[in-house]
Amino acid sequence: MSGADWLSYSLQDFVMFGPQVFLRLFVRINQDLWPWQLLAVVIAIFIPVLISRQSRVARRLAVGLMSLAWIVSGYGFLVGYFGPINWPAAWFGWAFVAQGALLAAAVFSGGVHDSRLAIGRLAVLWLLAVCVLPWFAMADSGQWEAVGLFGVAPGTTAAAGALALALVTRTWRWVYLPLLVLWSLFSAALLWVLQTWWLLVTPVATLLLVGAGFWLSPRTAQSPD
Amino acid sequence: MANQITRRKFLISSGLAGIALKAPMLFANTSGSTALSPIMRRIPGTDESIPAIGMGTWITFNVGGDEQLITQRTEVLKTFFELGGTVVDGSPMYGSAADVMGEALNALDGHDRIFAATKIWTGDESATRAEAARSSRRWGVDRFDLLQVHNLLGWQGHLETLKQMKANGEVRYIGITTSHGRRHREFAQIMEREPLDFVQLTYNVLDREVEDRLLPLAQERGIGVIVNRPFQGGSLFRRFQSEPLPDWAGEAGAGNWAEFFLKYIISHPAVTCAIPATSKVEHMKENMGAMYGALPDASQRQRMAGYVRSL
Repeated sequence: MSGADWLSYSLQDFVMFGPQVFLRLFVRINQDLWPWQLLAVVIAIFIPVLISRQSRVARRLAVGLMSLAWIVSGYGFLVGYFGPINWPAAWFGWAFVAQGALLAAAVFSGGVHDSRLAIGRLAVLWLLAVCVLPWFAMADSGQWEAVGLFGVAPGTTAAAGALALALVTRTWRWVYLPLLVLWSLFSAALLWVLQTWWLLVTPVATLLLVGAGFWLSPRTAQSPD
Repeated sequence: MANQITRRKFLISSGLAGIALKAPMLFANTSGSTALSPIMRRIPGTDESIPAIGMGTWITFNVGGDEQLITQRTEVLKTFFELGGTVVDGSPMYGSAADVMGEALNALDGHDRIFAATKIWTGDESATRAEAARSSRRWGVDRFDLLQVHNLLGWQGHLETLKQMKANGEVRYIGITTSHGRRHREFAQIMEREPLDFVQLTYNVLDREVEDRLLPLAQERGIGVIVNRPFQGGSLFRRFQSEPLPDWAGEAGAGNWAEFFLKYIISHPAVTCAIPATSKVEHMKENMGAMYGALPDASQRQRMAGYVRSL
């Protein structure tokens, strides 16, 4: 295909499904998971509690739970539900699983630092992400069952998960970063085409939280790397 | 605005009423001589005719494993069959649409009622048969009526295999597709020298480039024409549904915008079939309404295109 041919395509040409089908993915996974997503809610609230304890073990446990959230939302939502209607979503799903494995590896190989952090700011941003972002899928669909929870919906998981940048050491931080950026760009383009304007806030929030993750991370001089 | 007319309002006020009036006559076909016949088009070079309105599956049938939506799309297909439709077009490119179509056909026991058309969409020119077989399994059909090379991707190799498959009776008709007005020059060159049964291209009341070269060439070469994007991917409704139909639309056989857009297309003498896609039963009824009643003549077609341009 020539360059002119490629230029004749628009973003819409690559999206083979409509907003109704997409928003029902949230409803379907919530219906199928019930009541296990309540556990995801408890975990989402528990993570900042663990981080605030300023203990190495608690912080590792928090990052370990984030790792689990990446894996579950990637394999569950993206591979299992979204992949059948959109093959790039399945690829992202496996990338989410790899991202989860990466965080798990960081936990077990000293990649989670124990330097002092601005815990209050981190906790506020975390709670904003896991408590506010889930409602946007609901706002676009008009159905409360579409709530996009941390650990279930990839958008909320990636947004909150961006704050792990503040918890891992420098090398792990840079390895962890690319998927956050790629996913934000992909989902922003997708949500733009689907005209799900509320949900479009999520990838924007993810990029802002990436910045916050770096801002809250220990200065280079303090980093064990 | 007093005269604002939405697609849904049309359905309620006129489209459904029109279908309701037409349908009893249609279904009284066995006994009544006044039955309203569907508009059929002969496939060039054959004695076979197909209905002038078919169904596309782009976006609309890609619903994954959503049982609620699969049931709803099955209702759309059922309505299509009930109103006389047979031609259904898909592509492996459309995600889960082929699987959903297979489920819907199973639910309706519709395999014998369908003129099944799909595409070969792979850059691997040696994979034609494998892809056709994969699509057959997904649709649940023994063989396709029509296999088309999607957007000319790897067309040389695929077309050679498709010609062999047609000779072996593995497919009844073969063709090539394009959309959005892409690669028309190369498309015309292939039409000029290859033994095609069908071409599929984009044509609607706003995108009329094919009237200059491809449609006359199809007539000259005896190639059937399937028209995709008859509503420009839905944008024609978004742009014009709030506008009133012209007073003379009824004379051109159009009782609503769907009929207006579709009858403009199928009244072109080179066109065999238009394949609008929809996910809603009521829209399917509107679309199928275009397969009945009068068609605009050449001067009315000019008037239709001019009216839309003027809005």
